Amino acid sequence: VKLTYATTLVLHALSAGERHGFDILDATDLPSGTVYPILRRLEREGLVVANWEDVAIARAEQRPARRYYLLTAAGEGVFEAARTRFRVPRAVVSKARRLRPQESS
Amino acid sequence: MTPRWALWLALRVVRIVAMLVPAAGRGEWLQEWEAELVYQSAHLRDRRQPTWRTSMDLVTRALGALPDAAWLRRQCTLDAEAVHDTVHVVRLLRKAPAFAGIALFVLALGIGATTAMVSIADTLFMRPLPFADAGRIMTLWQVNRATGLGREDVAPGNALDWMARARVFDAVAIAEPRTVDAYVEGREPELLGGARVSDRFFAIFAAPMALGRAFVPAEYQPGGPRAVILSHRFWTARFAADAGIVGTALRLDADAFTIVGVMGAGFELRPFDNRFPEPEPMVWLAKQGVQPFEPTLRGRGYWNVFGRLAPGVSVARAQAELGTISAQLARERPGTNANVVAEVVPLRDHLAGGLGAILPFLLAAAALLLTVACANVANLLLARGVARAREFAVRQALGASRSRLIRQLLVESLLLSAAGAALGLGVAGGILRVIAGLRPIDAARVDAIPIDARGAVIVCVVALAAAVAAGLAPALQLTRPAVIAALRAGGRSVRRGVPGLLVAAEVAAAVVLAVGAGLLMRSFQRIQQVNPGFRPADVAALQVFLSDRQDTREKRLAFFQEALERIRSVPGVTDAGTVSTLPFGLGSLDIRLPLAIAGRPVVPGDAGLVYTTVVGGDYFRAMGIPLVRGRLVDVTDTASSPQVVVVSRRAAETLWPGADPIGSKVRTRFAGVAYDAEVVGIVGEVRHDGLDRPARAEVFIPSGQANFGMMTFVVRMAPGVAPPVQALKERVWAVDPLQTFYATSTLEQLMSRSLMGRRFILVLMGGFALVTLALAAAGVYGVTSFSTAQRTREFGVRMALGAGRRDILGLVVGEGLRLAGLGIVAGLALALALAPMLHRFLFDVGATDPVTLVLVAIGLLLIAVAACYVPARRALRVQPVEALRFD
Repeated sequence: VKLTYATTLVLHALSAGERHGFDILDATDLPSGTVYPILRRLEREGLVVANWEDVAIARAEQRPARRYYLLTAAGEGVFEAARTRFRVPRAVVSKARRLRPQESS
Repeated sequence: MTPRWALWLALRVVRIVAMLVPAAGRGEWLQEWEAELVYQSAHLRDRRQPTWRTSMDLVTRALGALPDAAWLRRQCTLDAEAVHDTVHVVRLLRKAPAFAGIALFVLALGIGATTAMVSIADTLFMRPLPFADAGRIMTLWQVNRATGLGREDVAPGNALDWMARARVFDAVAIAEPRTVDAYVEGREPELLGGARVSDRFFAIFAAPMALGRAFVPAEYQPGGPRAVILSHRFWTARFAADAGIVGTALRLDADAFTIVGVMGAGFELRPFDNRFPEPEPMVWLAKQGVQPFEPTLRGRGYWNVFGRLAPGVSVARAQAELGTISAQLARERPGTNANVVAEVVPLRDHLAGGLGAILPFLLAAAALLLTVACANVANLLLARGVARAREFAVRQALGASRSRLIRQLLVESLLLSAAGAALGLGVAGGILRVIAGLRPIDAARVDAIPIDARGAVIVCVVALAAAVAAGLAPALQLTRPAVIAALRAGGRSVRRGVPGLLVAAEVAAAVVLAVGAGLLMRSFQRIQQVNPGFRPADVAALQVFLSDRQDTREKRLAFFQEALERIRSVPGVTDAGTVSTLPFGLGSLDIRLPLAIAGRPVVPGDAGLVYTTVVGGDYFRAMGIPLVRGRLVDVTDTASSPQVVVVSRRAAETLWPGADPIGSKVRTRFAGVAYDAEVVGIVGEVRHDGLDRPARAEVFIPSGQANFGMMTFVVRMAPGVAPPVQALKERVWAVDPLQTFYATSTLEQLMSRSLMGRRFILVLMGGFALVTLALAAAGVYGVTSFSTAQRTREFGVRMALGAGRRDILGLVVGEGLRLAGLGIVAGLALALALAPMLHRFLFDVGATDPVTLVLVAIGLLLIAVAACYVPARRALRVQPVEALRFD
């Protein structure tokens, strides 16, 4: 897989625990037209797996079920490589972590 | 929360984009995007204030679905490049919102206006009428060449002769207006416009009935059963489309009629010279034989005559035969028929009414607009192509193939014109709604004109072809190796000829339309300045036909006098009177009678007839008609006092040329009463038929000395007080609770109605002219600013060599004005050639009115100067040093 800067940001967000497409957008500040093709590519390479969330959860929140993405073991490996290759500003890395508790509050 | 529209729009975008996604994964793909969008929208609703930004954010994210879908499509198709091109073009267009916006605006307007006009033409002239063999149905009209009033309803005597002698028809029928008082339970007594039809009527109009049946022969016999057929409109409006209505009774006037059927929807005949408040009769009755007096009536008529051409007979032949019959009648009855001719008009042309006459102009205007729009888009694309010459050179150098570049430009043109076409259909719908709102009173079937699919396709294809041609021209030219080499060398090979000519053509089209609209506008102004002879403001008119309940002269007089008394007690009423023929009234009976002036020979025939009008109460004061000399007629003029009349100034001038009519004796006979009256006064003259018609020579008889039951109450209110129509009606009901009203309106509404046709064509032509002007201005601006940008280096050099601001300004504005001037001259020449065709619609303005022509020319020059102003300013800001460095 091509390890671009944007791909690295997406991997960062995934490893920080973001799972859903739009949450990754929030975490990375990248446009949707960039993030989704990256996710598709990562999925094709086997670096992430995609799945549907439990319908019961979605129903409880009265919305359609969302698709989530998880890093595979191979993905974790690539992420380590990417992290050394691109130095992502701390602020960007931590953004995802900071967002999380706020969102659940 | 995120406003609902944002989510709606976002979901719509995603659903459209989903079509790009390979079918196998489409369902899941769509589900994922929808879930995310719904989630974000709900999420925002919970946490944040809704802002424009968060809403737009949602839509922007939805737009990101396009690259996603494109990526997926690339993975599974060989045609990846086309998708890539599309995505690329969308990206490029988003980067040039001004270009894309203007191009879309121009295309949408051009396509929309043209489609709307084509749809109208289709509805009026192509779509089959709801009658079997409708092409053979003719309407017959009576034209009196002496009065110049045009087509009129036919006098029974003439109609009967035509019908008896004509051989070209295999069926003829008449319809006669018949107003009836209808008493429907739970409603105010209501006067309905109805029609009595003769026995072949339903044979000619073989239209399916919505319910029930047509009349049977017995119902056409004198004294036969009383049967009524409801119009579809009346059935829906008053009986809520009750399917069980057939067979029940309806009280009309004093009699019970059996409802035997309901006309089919869309049976709109527009009969009777548009004298009904509604476009069609509300009830249809059977005409039970011809009245004994009817064959003798040959003056102004009230019948509609219809005929179905025998197989193989052409309209021209029918017209020729009716012409021969008219000539025979003129010889046989020179007194009444010397100037009367029969005119045969196909039903379809009759139904199109005034719209049919102006449609060619509107179509021409729409075609001009489409031409201008296409020229504009072509120019935009050409300019954009030239401006991107460098980009192409670079991309070719990097290995892009020529076909790929051309394809990309093609995609751009297609995308633009497709989007423009989509918007244009919306615009067309809007225009059609406006036209239905302006409803020209005398055109049938304009209420719901659907967009004509074939017309829309043709128009869109034209626009598409123009855009593609304009997009391809620079592509082919610019991607030629020689040009690229030239560009690489920094030279500029720009051909300004074609865009310049296109702009000149746009200006010319704008001139033609502006001259047309200008002439119409000046006519409209002139006609509004015409003094009708009365003051229409603050006046209400309630028209009543007395029923048989008021069967004696005394009862009628008492009814009107008591009603007038009660009307005067309504707060705000200053004067109230009655009149038999209201100027601009609907369904007024124009009564022309022979008038003998004592001591003069009687003028025989048509020329000796004078309009004779009955007035009561304070009619002249209520109308604001001035007394010129002598006295007005009033309540003291009764049946027992000496008979008197007043005459209008026009009558005084034409009937007593050079003499004083006051004191003169006249003799006439009105509604069974013989008059041997003295002229006691002269009042101002009044225009009755329209502001564009001459004032009438008219004789007024006091109602106290007349015996007439079809009068209109004329009520003047204190200035600024809106006429309380309902209160006025209630005063009349206090005298007779069963009295109905034919029409209740204000004089201003009635006058406005008489100008409807003119207003309609003015608004449409004006609209076209304005839009075309805007497009032409945009065209001049586009070409000037583009060539200014191209000539930056040249200006720099000139400035460096000592050219002043004035010189540069002259160069830029001069170029713009040269184009505009060329267009204006060509446009004026064209307008001079075409304007005489507008002759019919002009009033008191020549078709080559120099004021209009000069104003239009000056106006367009000013617009052109304004359009050059911005590019000129830009040119002046050029710094010689920078310009020379500029590459």
